[in-house]
Amino acid sequence: MKMTKFFAWLAIAIGLIYFFVPLLGTFEFSLRMRRGEYSFDAYGSVFSDVQFQQTFGFSILMALFTIAFGMLLVVPTAYWVRLRLPQMRPVVEFVTLMPLVIPAIVIVFGYLRLYNSSSYIPFTGSTFGTNVLLVMSYITLSLPYMYRSVDTAMRTIDVRTLTEAAEILGAKWPTILFRCIFPNVMSGVLSGAFITFAIVMGEFTMAALLNRPAFGPYLQLVGANKAYEPSALAVIAFAMTWLSMGLIQLVSRLSKMAPARRA
Amino acid sequence: MSFLVLDSLKKSFGQTQVVKDFNMSIDKGEFISFLGPSGCGKTTILRMIAGFETPSDGTITINGKNQSGLKTSQRNIGMVFQAYALFPNMNVFDNVAFGLKVAGQPKAEIETRVKEMLKLIHLEHLADRYPYQMSGGQQQRVALARALAPKPQVLLLDEPLSALDAKIRVSLREEIRQIQRQLGITTVFVTHDQEEALSISDRIVVMNAGRADQIGTPSDIYNRPATRFVASFVGTLNIIDATVAEPAANTIRIGENVITLREPIGALKSGEKISVALRPEAGSLAESAKGDTALTGTVVSSHFLGSVVRTKFDVGGNQISFDMFNAPDKVLPKPSETVTLRFAASDLLLIKD
Repeated sequence: MKMTKFFAWLAIAIGLIYFFVPLLGTFEFSLRMRRGEYSFDAYGSVFSDVQFQQTFGFSILMALFTIAFGMLLVVPTAYWVRLRLPQMRPVVEFVTLMPLVIPAIVIVFGYLRLYNSSSYIPFTGSTFGTNVLLVMSYITLSLPYMYRSVDTAMRTIDVRTLTEAAEILGAKWPTILFRCIFPNVMSGVLSGAFITFAIVMGEFTMAALLNRPAFGPYLQLVGANKAYEPSALAVIAFAMTWLSMGLIQLVSRLSKMAPARRA
Repeated sequence: MSFLVLDSLKKSFGQTQVVKDFNMSIDKGEFISFLGPSGCGKTTILRMIAGFETPSDGTITINGKNQSGLKTSQRNIGMVFQAYALFPNMNVFDNVAFGLKVAGQPKAEIETRVKEMLKLIHLEHLADRYPYQMSGGQQQRVALARALAPKPQVLLLDEPLSALDAKIRVSLREEIRQIQRQLGITTVFVTHDQEEALSISDRIVVMNAGRADQIGTPSDIYNRPATRFVASFVGTLNIIDATVAEPAANTIRIGENVITLREPIGALKSGEKISVALRPEAGSLAESAKGDTALTGTVVSSHFLGSVVRTKFDVGGNQISFDMFNAPDKVLPKPSETVTLRFAASDLLLIKD
C-alpha cells in the first residue's frame, strides 16, 4: 500500500519536473538580458516593439472575429441538430473532429488551391479577402472545441421543451434562439470562446502560409533572430493560455453554482 | 356551438398509427381531461392542438377557425408542460411577461398584466426569483401564470402535476381548477392519473390505443364504464366471468348464484360467456343492507386498509373484492367463512370488450 503511494507521488513529481523545469528555465533565461543581474528588460523590449503590438493586436482582432462568427455557426447548428436532426449528430460530430485529424498545413494548401487569386472565389486576391479566409480557417481549427463545449452546455437544458414553451407563447426563431437558448448555454459559449482565443493567439501555420501579420509568425521571427525576447514571448504566450484556461474554469464553476443552489 | 372541435383526427409516425379517427367537440369554458396509459395517443392529440405535430388527417377548429396551416406561435394557445419549462435565465416576472413582450404590448400594460397573474397564483412576492430558487410547485404555478398571461383562447396542460409530490399535487390541481373556473378558459388536461381526472374535469376522455374508448362525465366514466378497458383503468373494479342463464329473463349465472341483470341481454344466447363488473364499494355484508341482489361465496382474505377493510371472496372461481368502512368493533370475515354480499342489481354492469 505504502509502495503504491510512493510510486504515485514519484509519477506526479516526474510529471511536474517534466512540465515546469523547462518553463522555469525559460522564465529564468528571459530575465537574464542585463548582464550579471535579473531584469525584465526582455519583456520591456518585447512590449515596446511596434511589430509585437501590431501582430498581437491583429491576432486579438482575428480571435474576436473567429469567436463571433464561429459561435454564430456553431450555436444554431448544435441547437438544430439537438432539436430537429438528432440522426445527423454522428455526421456533425465527425465533421467537427476533422480538423484534429487533417493537419493545418493540408487545410491551408487546400484553401490556397481553392481560393487563390485566379480561382472563382479569389479570397487571396485582396488583404481583406485573405483576412476573411484566415478567420474561416481559424473557425475550422477551433470547431472541435467550440462545438463540444456548446453541445455539452445544451445537454444541461431541455432544449426541446424550452423551444416549444417559447413557440407557444408566440416567439419566432430569432427570439427563441437569442433570448431563450443562447443565454442558457452561455457557459459553453464562453468556454469555447476562451479556448478559441488561446488557439488563435498561438496559431502559426495558417497565418504564415496566408502571409498575414499574426502573433504566431512573429513569435517564430523573433525566435530566429533574437536571444532573450523569444523566452519572454514564450512566457507571455503561456500566461495567455493559462489565463484563458483559468477563465474557462471560472465560467464552468459559476454555471455549476446555479444548479447547486437548487438542492 | 362547440368552441374546440377535433374532427376525424389521425396521426401516424411511420407505420404506427398513434391516433385513429378521433372526434370530439369541446364547449367554451369546459375542462376536459384526456386519461389513459402511456402511448395511448393523448399527448399526441394535445401536441396536435398546440401545433407541435401536424395531423396526418382531419381538422382542428378553434372558435370556428380551422387551425391547419397555422404555426404554433399563431394559434394563441397557452400550454403548461410537465417539466415546467420556465426560462432559466429569466426571473419570475420576465418569464410571465415573455408572451406579452413577444406580442409587442406596451410596457405599462405588461407590468399590470404580470402583477395580475402573479396575484392570481399568489406569488407576487417572488417576482424577482429565478426558477432554480423555487420549489417544483411554485415553478409550475409560474408556468401556469405565464401560459395565461397572453389571454389564450385554449389552455393545454400536459401532465403538469406528474413531477410534483402527492400533497402539492392535490393542492395545485384544486388551484388550477379554481383559476380555470374563474377565467372561464377552455382547458384540455392530459393525465394518466385517474384520481386527478375524476376530481377536476367536466368531462373525461378515456383513451386506449389511439381511440377514445369513452367520453363522459367523471360520474359516467366511473359508474358506467363503456368498455372492459375503461372499467379496468378507472378505479378498482371486479371483472366477473358469468354465463347467460335465460336471456329472455335477463338472468345470468355466477358460480351457483343466479342473478337478474337490469340491462337487457335478450340478444345473447343461453350458456354464452359474458363479463360483468362490480365496484368494491357497491355491496355490503349486513343482513339489513339494501339491495335486491346477492352473491354467496367463501372468504379468501381480509385486509385492514385504515379507513376501509377489503375482503376478497371466491364465487365460482371469480375472486371478488368488496370494501367495508372501518369501525373499532368490526370483526373481520375469516378465511373459509361463507359470506353473502348484497347489492343493487343496477350496480352490476355488463362489460363490452
